[in-house]
Amino acid sequence: MSLSPYFKWATPPHFLRKSHKKSVEFLKNYLWHITLKYDIINPIMLRPLIIILLFAVCLPVSSLASSNEECFSCHGKQGSKGFVDPVIYSESVHRGVRCSGCHIDVLGYPHPRDIIKVQCGICHLLGREGAPTAQARQYKLSVHGRAERGGLPEAPRCQSCHGSHYIFLSRDERSKTYRLKIPVLCSQCHHSQYEAYAVSIHGKELLTRHNAGAATCFDCHMEHGISNVNDPQWKLSLIKECGSCHSAMMDTYKKTYHGKVTELGYTTVAKCSDCHGSHNILPPSDRDSTLSKENILTTCRKCHTKATAGFTKFYAHPEESNKVKYPIIYYVYLSMTLLLIGVFTFFFTHTFLWAYRALMEKIWRK
Amino acid sequence: MAYIQRLNAYHRILHIVMAVSFLGLVISGIPLKYDHAPWAAWLMKLLGGYQSAGLVHRFCAVLTFGYFAAHIAYAVYHIAVVKKFNFDVFGPESMVPRIKDIKDIYYRIKWFLGDGPEPQFDRWTYWEKFDYWAVFWGVGMIGMSGLMLWFPEFFGRFLPGWSFNVATIIHSDEALLASGFIFTMHFFNTHLRPEKFPMDPVIFTGRIDVEELKHERPLEYQRLEEAGTLEAHMTSAPSKRILCMGAVFGFIAVLVGLILLVFIILGQFFY
Repeated sequence: MSLSPYFKWATPPHFLRKSHKKSVEFLKNYLWHITLKYDIINPIMLRPLIIILLFAVCLPVSSLASSNEECFSCHGKQGSKGFVDPVIYSESVHRGVRCSGCHIDVLGYPHPRDIIKVQCGICHLLGREGAPTAQARQYKLSVHGRAERGGLPEAPRCQSCHGSHYIFLSRDERSKTYRLKIPVLCSQCHHSQYEAYAVSIHGKELLTRHNAGAATCFDCHMEHGISNVNDPQWKLSLIKECGSCHSAMMDTYKKTYHGKVTELGYTTVAKCSDCHGSHNILPPSDRDSTLSKENILTTCRKCHTKATAGFTKFYAHPEESNKVKYPIIYYVYLSMTLLLIGVFTFFFTHTFLWAYRALMEKIWRK
Repeated sequence: MAYIQRLNAYHRILHIVMAVSFLGLVISGIPLKYDHAPWAAWLMKLLGGYQSAGLVHRFCAVLTFGYFAAHIAYAVYHIAVVKKFNFDVFGPESMVPRIKDIKDIYYRIKWFLGDGPEPQFDRWTYWEKFDYWAVFWGVGMIGMSGLMLWFPEFFGRFLPGWSFNVATIIHSDEALLASGFIFTMHFFNTHLRPEKFPMDPVIFTGRIDVEELKHERPLEYQRLEEAGTLEAHMTSAPSKRILCMGAVFGFIAVLVGLILLVFIILGQFFY
């Protein structure tokens, strides 16, 4: 395992490397474990504390614990209890990490029968061994992280989505978080949302046509930083997310009252999902769409309670320059523009000439 | 110094109501029109969010419909009761445009270019008549489209939904036309032009200096003199108090208007 220069420097001198070091190491790791498990230190305040604590307690995990070969001599055998395929593990992102790096209470053979649950934060929240930390921090503040902290037993932990031993980059097809597998992953808990999504235009594209460009759960609900669906900040960022693919619809939406109020940072008027639906988005031509002929009035009436059939002929995405699709809008806009140009041109010329003449008169009189 | 009564209290009060409500409408409407400009969110927050800005906008709209109706009632009363239907619609006292106004525009532009003398005016000049009828056009167009957008569910019963798109375009562009015209041309034509700079107090005092009238509107002076009613229109000089109040109100209104004009120019051309 490669060590950073700091860790090399921090490696204890030879005379300290005696048998008791394993228990010292365990104690330190266990302290971290308790700290993270019971959230003794708020992740926001962690940064300065980490720097101090790193100097105080952090020693390289790898230099002390048992080697992976030792573990695989039992657990690497097919059919054994707690089987881990050494070949697949050696290709995972954690290939350089020793078993005892995560299973901190396993100090050698024989080990206790019930080992403690792995705390990924030991590295991923503290940034040890060069582990990325941003995701773990986002998770801690997300609805999932808060639920876990609040003691909800079914709240997802890192392993719930990433798995444990076979962790790959999300672009790897073997990864549990591979783009095309994400809806199925989330459906472990969010069944009803998955059912709606699976038959939606995005779901059909992604799940049956394997179109990786179609929106999946994480595009709207940011993977680690999943926020409460009532969070106004998230609602506003969600619109930008829709616009990142549907940019033309975004531009035309911004020309309406709905778009303008939303652009100013208010979330109470119609946004994309208020009309198009969220998980169940379907093209308006589809009978089940919230905007189909059968359903559009109900959708408008969510806000405009007294709306009538004629009301639904409103263009929520008008294009002033599209003569073919919106001829009325085109000609109204054109005639208004000509009227404005005409009036302003005449009166500006008139005023400028007047100002010039009046000034001249004043100068001549003197 | 002798003064002539040009505008009565009713005229002057309606003009103040008009100025206040118009500025209120522009202030509360402009963040929505130029929502992409960096000052828009700030101004919206200053107004207390889009809901309270909407409330201000609707309150000023009611004021607008109010002064508009009050003026129509006054015009009817003036023609029917005061003049007993003996009112020359195309006469010099009327706001209705006549052939002379078109001639005035032609000769005045010639005069601007140094070709010929300045045409002589009667009680109302052509640009004053334009300002007057522009309010009819503006209140009609902006008012009607505004009502549609205020009560979409009601108008949706007998109008197709796309008429709200049309109303949005008309409301927004007519508002730009009205505010762009008032904050530049009206301000210059009546207050900021060299003869009147920094402001013409007649709209607040209602009284005009006889010498000024003789110079500015010679035809009206002549007409009054010939009819022998000049003495009847004579009045005392405006009080210091009303001049002072007019100046304070006028300067604030012009200043607010010019600030809004900067916002409009920024929103229209730079963002």
